Amino acid sequence: MNKTIYTLIICFFAGTLAFSKAHGQEKFFHAIGTPHQPKVEVSWNRYNTYAGLVDLMKKINRAHPNLTRLQSIGKSVEGRDIWALTVSDFNVGNPDQKPAMYIDGNIHSNEVQGAEFSLYTAWYLTEMYSELDFIKELLQDKTFYILPTINPDARDNFMNEPNTPHSPRSGMLVLDNDGDGLAGEDRFDDLNGDNHITMMIRKSPDGRYVKDQQNPELLKRVEPEEKGEYEILGFEGVDRDGDGRVNEDGIGYYDPNRDWAWNWQPDYVQSGAYKYPFSLPENRAVADFVLAHPNIAGAQSYHNYGGMILRGPGAKDDVEVYNRDDVRIFDILAEKGEEMIPGYRYLVVYKDLYSVYGGELDWFYGGRGIFTFSNELMTSYLYFHKNENGPRDVEHFKVDKYLTFGDAFVKWQEYDHPQFGQIEIGGFKKNFGRIHPGFLLEQDAHRNMAFSVYHGYHTPKLQVLDVQEKKLENGLREITATIYNERLMPTHSHQDLKNKIERPDYVTIEGPDVIVGMVVENDDFNIVSEQKNTPGKLAVANIPGMGTVKVRWLVSGKGDYRISVDSAKGGMAHWEKINR
Amino acid sequence: MIKPFLFTLFFWGIMSMAWSQQAYPTNEEISTRLQTVASHPAVSLVSLAKTAGDQTIWALKIGTENTDEKPAIAVVGGVEGFRLLSVELALRFAEQLVNEHADVLNKTTFYVFPNLSPDAYGQYEAALKYERSGNSVPVDQDRDGQVSEDPYEDLNGDGYISLMRVETPIGHYKTHPGHSALMVRANRKKGEAGNYLVFTEGIDNDQDGKFNEDGEEGIAFNKNFTYKFPAFQPLAGDYPVSQKETRALVDYLFEQWNIFAFVTFGPANNLSAPLKYDKKQAQNRVITSMLEKDVEINQMISDLYNDVVSEKPFQQTNQGTDGDFFQWAYFHFGRLSFSTPGWWVPEVKVEKEEEAKEKQDQTENQSEEVNFMRWAEQQGLTDVFVPWEKIDHPDFPDKNVEVGGIKPFVMYNPPLSVLDSVASQHADFILKLAEMQPHLEFHNLKVDELDGGLTRITVDLFNNAPLPTHSELGERSRWLRKIRVDIKKDKEEILAGNSISLINKLGAYETQTLSWVIKGKGTIEIKAGAAHTGFATLNVKL
Repeated sequence: MNKTIYTLIICFFAGTLAFSKAHGQEKFFHAIGTPHQPKVEVSWNRYNTYAGLVDLMKKINRAHPNLTRLQSIGKSVEGRDIWALTVSDFNVGNPDQKPAMYIDGNIHSNEVQGAEFSLYTAWYLTEMYSELDFIKELLQDKTFYILPTINPDARDNFMNEPNTPHSPRSGMLVLDNDGDGLAGEDRFDDLNGDNHITMMIRKSPDGRYVKDQQNPELLKRVEPEEKGEYEILGFEGVDRDGDGRVNEDGIGYYDPNRDWAWNWQPDYVQSGAYKYPFSLPENRAVADFVLAHPNIAGAQSYHNYGGMILRGPGAKDDVEVYNRDDVRIFDILAEKGEEMIPGYRYLVVYKDLYSVYGGELDWFYGGRGIFTFSNELMTSYLYFHKNENGPRDVEHFKVDKYLTFGDAFVKWQEYDHPQFGQIEIGGFKKNFGRIHPGFLLEQDAHRNMAFSVYHGYHTPKLQVLDVQEKKLENGLREITATIYNERLMPTHSHQDLKNKIERPDYVTIEGPDVIVGMVVENDDFNIVSEQKNTPGKLAVANIPGMGTVKVRWLVSGKGDYRISVDSAKGGMAHWEKINR
Repeated sequence: MIKPFLFTLFFWGIMSMAWSQQAYPTNEEISTRLQTVASHPAVSLVSLAKTAGDQTIWALKIGTENTDEKPAIAVVGGVEGFRLLSVELALRFAEQLVNEHADVLNKTTFYVFPNLSPDAYGQYEAALKYERSGNSVPVDQDRDGQVSEDPYEDLNGDGYISLMRVETPIGHYKTHPGHSALMVRANRKKGEAGNYLVFTEGIDNDQDGKFNEDGEEGIAFNKNFTYKFPAFQPLAGDYPVSQKETRALVDYLFEQWNIFAFVTFGPANNLSAPLKYDKKQAQNRVITSMLEKDVEINQMISDLYNDVVSEKPFQQTNQGTDGDFFQWAYFHFGRLSFSTPGWWVPEVKVEKEEEAKEKQDQTENQSEEVNFMRWAEQQGLTDVFVPWEKIDHPDFPDKNVEVGGIKPFVMYNPPLSVLDSVASQHADFILKLAEMQPHLEFHNLKVDELDGGLTRITVDLFNNAPLPTHSELGERSRWLRKIRVDIKKDKEEILAGNSISLINKLGAYETQTLSWVIKGKGTIEIKAGAAHTGFATLNVKL
């Protein structure tokens, strides 16, 4: 009798346990393509300060210790760490030897969403590794080096201190912008204390603006022969140093994206250049990291604004640097990107924007031979899926009326200015316009992440496709190996080959004594080129995308052998003859 | 017992002194001399960095009182590692300045960077001597994936790397008709057949067909700058300002706002003849020609140089090479930049017919060597050539291979006997350049009393110097300050005019009139200038 009761009791408890567990799972239902019970819970509809980013990176690293490595690659001007999160399957191969995709964000301090988009990528890859075969294989084959912010000091300044949507842009160095021997003596002034630098306007008979009758917050320009009411004085501020100008010398001015070592030009040629390439510690840390990781084959550096997928050349004089073979790869990737991210357009910097010297994407491609894009995130197309041609303010007010309910705008308020007299202060906030409103963040992050995944996917993937053995006279064997690259990118871009930026790929045979080693240029007609020195380790200049390379050895002796391929950007591949 | 011992010591002492006096100073001897210069109160000696070869990049800052507010000239040596003379000239300038011309420091501050290539310079005192440009950082010069896999070898064991020649009908070279010890390329246009291959001394270690293309050489200082940086070329590296030496120097220079001119002892020469003005290149966005007004200044300084330096220019064709310091100082740093090797082999005139025969088929490079040999013979210099000597060469087992050629260093570094006059002439030139520096003065002060207790102050600011305050290029650069005029009065008391105004530039002997209307009484101070122009001060009684 006791036995039966005990069994019943145990079954009862087991039942309730199973029942409650089943009930706990019922709270969530899987949505396609996203982590439905992530180990790290993140709100992707808001922005993070530097502290917030670091917190998330640490959480991701702790939650996925076999998929991530978190390291500081250097320090910023104000001593903050520049963090790099390496995402890869650390149990399969050495991540620093796998073909890698590099992603960074926020080089311009006010262009903040690149950090969220980079971090979303790290989060997504780690959370979906165990759910999707595609992601698992991706992380086994590839490495993602993710640096959410490479301008941490000024990111915090943008967020925590009064700024316009466009400032500081630089890092936190304070330079003498007006040549008067003083640095930063006339910065913005947050006159109304709202942590935004908005606009100052004043009633004036010379003014060319009036307030819209339906919407008194909207300033409209009047017709040429019409009398206006308001003049726009400029951004919020006071003439602090008595030189007759307002806000002319604040933080900066310099542009961290003019500090890169490809065709670098000084400030009088390229406004914003600092002293010499990598004279900014943040950029130097990134450069040192890239130089130490020659496995980086593709890269993305996030900016805002405009909805663009940009490639170089940055400067017109570099047109010959981008040759046709490489451009073809850029085209294939970017045209797919345009499909993945509706509203974003594939453009060339010098041609469709303006000539820029010393940009990051120029050094990544020109100086290291890496296929690099820079996406300018956020476009007004995303609001209504329309390309508005009218004045931007009109569309912005429509967004703020129907979608963000007045959160985007500081209403005009009167103020007594020491130099300008009675003025009004108001305008769109610093976190509207260039950066996504919260509700648009996650989708755009996902689409851009998908583009980087596609980009990373197409870094080279090598295999020893085929090995043919032929017995020759005098106890010699002829061994021919075909190496195949099944992805779009070659192991060396044309720029790389032209300048021998990266070392050759090595195809090595171990085991027998090698008499002759050669690269087979054309197998059908037996056109080969012999490598006299160290024939067992053949140096191959390049393994083309979706293409093959054939090598051949004449060896003596019997027995097994092992063929290895070692490519800086293509990773490794092996083949072993054991009782085949 | 002791006497002969002491005598031997004494004898050795004298001999070693004589030995070192025949040689250019070692890195350590340079350091010692710098310490001596630094003992002078106006001198501060700073170590900017330590190189990979554990050498020091030294900087001397020489000045008295308000050192940072006087115009300054920077004198630079050792931009090219095997130009030992350049280091000696920079050193001697510092020595002469503090020992004989210290009064100049009242008006001008000086910086001296005696040797920017101490690692390469050290090859002069090494067991195996060769002309080295690169530092001690290991570099894959030929970009084949291996580092330093094919260095020089001293095949004849004489402690020098010279040339070797391989007798073979497939060779490109023949003996020089102007001087039988030299080799020259056969002139294919005239159907000449060569009979020698010529290489630098060594073996082809990596069997790639090239000799000694990747040895004990690092990055060359004079190829590591941003102006026309020769990316990926041997000795230049992957990107500019990549080396500790270059960064340390450049970081330091950007903090010295008072430098208005550089005088570099190096291979380039824009003093014997000025740089040329190319209108199209000067008008591009990326400027690659010195600007017109600056060429005029260059001409003026070039005339001064040719007055002071007695040696007639000869074969001075190098007016800047890609990535060099001399061009960076002007095109990217915005200062006046002057360069000279300091000494060159003078022209040795020959018989008319020999000259004609030479001019027919030789490149300039070859006639440089011929001229040198003639001059050496004329001067009775015996130790400048390694006579051709047969050796066994493993890469050419069945051929006649000889080692020989002009010794390293001798073509660019004269015997020390000529140094006294070269050094004092160049010191003289630099001091005369300093006399021309911008000099601001206030003139024609007018103090008009107006009604209502107001005073109008009018004064001329005059640049009493043949050099402008800013070069034409310097005016555009953010790294030169504008001329700042301050009048020490509160803004409310100035009814017309600004308490701070900025003037972009004053040309040579140019005047700008300034005026203010002030309320009140007392004495006010007006100050005008910039670090690199010096300051003028005026006290006005209202």
